[in-house]
Amino acid sequence: MKLREDTNYIVSGLERSGTSMMMQVLAAGGIPIAYTESRKPDEHNPKGYYELEGGKIINRLMQGTFPFESYKGTFIKITAYGLSYLPPRSYKIIYMERNLDEVLDSMEKMAWVTDEDREETKQSFKKLNEKIKKELRTKEYTDVLFMNYNDVLKDPHTNVQKVCEFIGPYQYDTTKMIAVVDSQLYRQRR
Amino acid sequence: MEEKTGEKKYTTISIPTHLAEKIKKRIQGTGFTSLSSYVTYVLREVLSGADTESTEEFSKEDEERVKARLRSLGYLD
Repeated sequence: MKLREDTNYIVSGLERSGTSMMMQVLAAGGIPIAYTESRKPDEHNPKGYYELEGGKIINRLMQGTFPFESYKGTFIKITAYGLSYLPPRSYKIIYMERNLDEVLDSMEKMAWVTDEDREETKQSFKKLNEKIKKELRTKEYTDVLFMNYNDVLKDPHTNVQKVCEFIGPYQYDTTKMIAVVDSQLYRQRR
Repeated sequence: MEEKTGEKKYTTISIPTHLAEKIKKRIQGTGFTSLSSYVTYVLREVLSGADTESTEEFSKEDEERVKARLRSLGYLD
């Protein structure tokens, strides 16, 4: 089975906000997703990053050279900043959100840094998140589902149903999708 | 006259013919199916930008801070 061939499907959100988990959920449900393994699973994402081009797809978007045509009907991951560079097309976007302090904790751990300007960084990412959400709400030919990572972990059943309803008719394996939501990965709890 | 709830309302806006022709050429091969849909898209973008500016603006400084963090995480060259 395929998704709509006239639409580009995207999982997005700030980095470390559960985008990889959502890609895993979709994959488990038998939904077409595209990714390369240029960035290998590691201790930060033991089940993989599910990214294209090692996560550096943003560079291609900024240059206007990303081949969206090749990914119609298939979910790909584009993190929040990259959404500013989406060309006019038809999109369905699952946008992940997560407690911002958890996001920053996870970023610092992954980058092996301690942010001396943590509050300023937090405000910048908060503004980016709000800017992107606002743009998505008003973007032509764009359907958006806002999902909260923390809520997905608390109630996988209800939230997986929301995802399925958003994507539309498809032969989902919801049991496998729910099973993917592994609370053991919830390591940056606040 | 009152319209039904949920029904979209439209109005007519005049733009110069040469500009309309330029837009028609520009939207060929894109997801836009009409001149109106493109103009609506552009206006929404402009208004969205204006709204953002009036609230908490994502400044150049914010953007550089975000990009620096994305580089450190390997998401940006």
